[in-house]
Amino acid sequence: MIAPSVASVRLVAPWAEWNTRFTDGRRVLETGTFALTEGAIAAGCRFFAGYPITPATEIAEHMSKRLPQVGGYYVQAEDELAGVHMCAGASLAGLKAMSASSGPGYTLMHDAYGWAVANEVPLVIVDAMRVGPVSGITGAPGQGEFYIARYCSHGGNIESLVLSPDSVQETYWLTIDALNLAERFRTVVTILTDQVISDMQEDLFLPRSADDLAEIVVPRRHNTEMPFYPQGSDAIDVAPNVVGQGTGVCVSAYTHTPEGYDIEEMEAHWDQSIRLINKIRRHREELLRYEAVGLDDADVIVVAYGATARTAKTAVLRARRAGVRAGFLRLITLWPFPDELFTRDVPYVVCELNYDGQLVREVQRAAPARDRVHFMGKSAELHTVEEVLRALDGVVKGQGIPAMPYIWTEVR
Amino acid sequence: MANRLVEKYLRPSQIPTKACHGCGIGMIENWILQAIDELGWSREDVVFITGIGCVGRQTYATWGGDNVGATHGRALAVATGLKVAQPDKKYVVVVGDGDAAAIGTSHLIHAARRNLGVTVICEDNMGYESTGGQFSPTTPAGYVMNSSPYGMVEPSFDPCDIVKAAGATFVAEYTAVQWLQTKKAIKKALQNDGFSFVHVRFQCNENFGAYALGTRDTVANIQWIEDHTRGVDRDGRPTEFTWETGIKHDASNSRPEFSRLLRDLNTRVAAGNGRGGHG
Amino acid sequence: MTRFRHLVYSGCTVPLFEPAKAKKQLPPSDKWSVTVEKNFCKACRFCIDVCPVDVFRWSTEVNTIGWFPIEVAHEANCVGCMLCYQVCPDFVINVEPKKTKAPREGAA
Repeated sequence: MIAPSVASVRLVAPWAEWNTRFTDGRRVLETGTFALTEGAIAAGCRFFAGYPITPATEIAEHMSKRLPQVGGYYVQAEDELAGVHMCAGASLAGLKAMSASSGPGYTLMHDAYGWAVANEVPLVIVDAMRVGPVSGITGAPGQGEFYIARYCSHGGNIESLVLSPDSVQETYWLTIDALNLAERFRTVVTILTDQVISDMQEDLFLPRSADDLAEIVVPRRHNTEMPFYPQGSDAIDVAPNVVGQGTGVCVSAYTHTPEGYDIEEMEAHWDQSIRLINKIRRHREELLRYEAVGLDDADVIVVAYGATARTAKTAVLRARRAGVRAGFLRLITLWPFPDELFTRDVPYVVCELNYDGQLVREVQRAAPARDRVHFMGKSAELHTVEEVLRALDGVVKGQGIPAMPYIWTEVR
Repeated sequence: MANRLVEKYLRPSQIPTKACHGCGIGMIENWILQAIDELGWSREDVVFITGIGCVGRQTYATWGGDNVGATHGRALAVATGLKVAQPDKKYVVVVGDGDAAAIGTSHLIHAARRNLGVTVICEDNMGYESTGGQFSPTTPAGYVMNSSPYGMVEPSFDPCDIVKAAGATFVAEYTAVQWLQTKKAIKKALQNDGFSFVHVRFQCNENFGAYALGTRDTVANIQWIEDHTRGVDRDGRPTEFTWETGIKHDASNSRPEFSRLLRDLNTRVAAGNGRGGHG
Repeated sequence: MTRFRHLVYSGCTVPLFEPAKAKKQLPPSDKWSVTVEKNFCKACRFCIDVCPVDVFRWSTEVNTIGWFPIEVAHEANCVGCMLCYQVCPDFVINVEPKKTKAPREGAA
């Protein structure tokens, strides 16, 4: 319950409206992985190729059951790298495609990720993060791929689209949104979820049939003529290319011409970079999604995303009821990083599930005063409401975050 | 006027290819095009999928229809997605020994296991020539290459054995002096609704020839290929090894093709007989 | 199986003005059309080496990709063995029956 004294509450995301628009359906108690699968299928995904890994395994299992029911195809790839390449091939041939993994598998996907981004192939990749490094603790949550998701390919010269849900219902809508954005931007959209959101069971509303969603789902179209790659242009809503209809398109990861064959000229390289970077940067306003509580009058703002944001939000609301003017900012779009949300010159407390500090560095970069950004790192377990309250208390009093067991506050 | 297949099938801006003079890649591509021509297929019917390295790079975008140049070793993974999503096109996967027998062997094995309906032309110059001539898993044992200056100590293998063991339904091996047999094998391979693998060893002058054989002379290097195909050199002396060429396995059209398996599953599920187990 | 005439070279890979060795001399039949695209040729010399009847010679004009290419010297000698067509790595050569009878298109 939100106390009446809170100044402003807002959710900036397409589903702020979708939640109220679609009311004819059923409610189930289900997991985040179930919601993700259903959202993908509702948005038209008809191909999944992946490899089992905790906590994303259930996505593969659900897909293996649901896709044949809707005339789609599930391929269990021999490894995650093959899986994403298969998805890219299927997308090029005309099917909306998705893959899903966790950190150890996600890190294998990078070559394919870059190939798809460079060739403007629409794809959605899900990373259900768990604690690291590497295999870590199998059943514990983490948020260690914040930067990898942005820099998910070698060689630079790309921008990335990364979204993160914080509830089972939001996972459903966000997956539809991700597939839509993949079509509109002709790129790979990464969904960074985590073990908690994937495995937890919550109330989930499902529209009666996928046809009801036709007005919000971006359909697959195909571009059959030159230019296959409008190099030098930042336009979005360009139809994806298609292989197998004899258009003569060439698809490869070399620097390429508008026709797609490889060329070793500076002009082509420059034009391609403009396209891949600016098509996302110049449309940031289409991509901004976040949730905020009391941002406009807060004396201290807690920043978090994913499962971490749940306890952080509760702490902020409780602090408000106790008279502390705390604010809460939950990022849904992680990349392109929303610098424009950090204009207020107040202390920030950044809660994230890692000890090396990733999100906090971006907040330090974007906020007006770097030394007013406090890091509250925890790993393998969610921050408790009490811990966040104690942190808020310390920061408001100007003493910084007090020492607490398993809480990391140093950023170097 | 050039070879008449250029106008029929190739992309003019990409010819002449980037291959070195005397390289076998263009020869084999000529035979692939003849096979396609004799089967009566058009540009729109066939998609060329290539890998990284000389074979992939020099072939990529030469085909006048659709081309897909995958990352190193992953041509078969991309081919799997393409074939499942769009099964009625013909997919010709042109990869080198590095792409197929080193970095991409896992995907080669699984594509063969699944009996994916593509035709893989593995053009083998027995080394990583594009990066200057390092040895590869198909370099003859003991040969000196840029990364085996004392002679290659690793054993090598024949990728034909691997795909056959994994379940390929058509496997053939020839060399660059066997144009007629290779073309016939490619035609058969293209008509197999299943996984076809045609392995063609060929000469490299700039790197393999220079470092392993001691010459960049084009005729000498293709002569070396001929000698080891026949098993004797020009003076009648037996060569130290001979490649066994021929159609090694032909079970064409005997097993269901992978995309067919998935479609049949969907039909069964739609009819209500697909369900099994829990849920 | 194709056969390559083995000629001993001392390692020179650009045989400028290499005279063709003595080949079989048949009376010219003039049944075959042999054309080349000079600007595709990279002077690998397989065609000159394999042709049994002296159809080709080296050109003395460099082509647009920097090689001295082959050219057709005695088209009338061609017997239609197609070895040059099959051995060329660069799609340079076209060999077809002359249009006195209907050309074969994509025979199986």
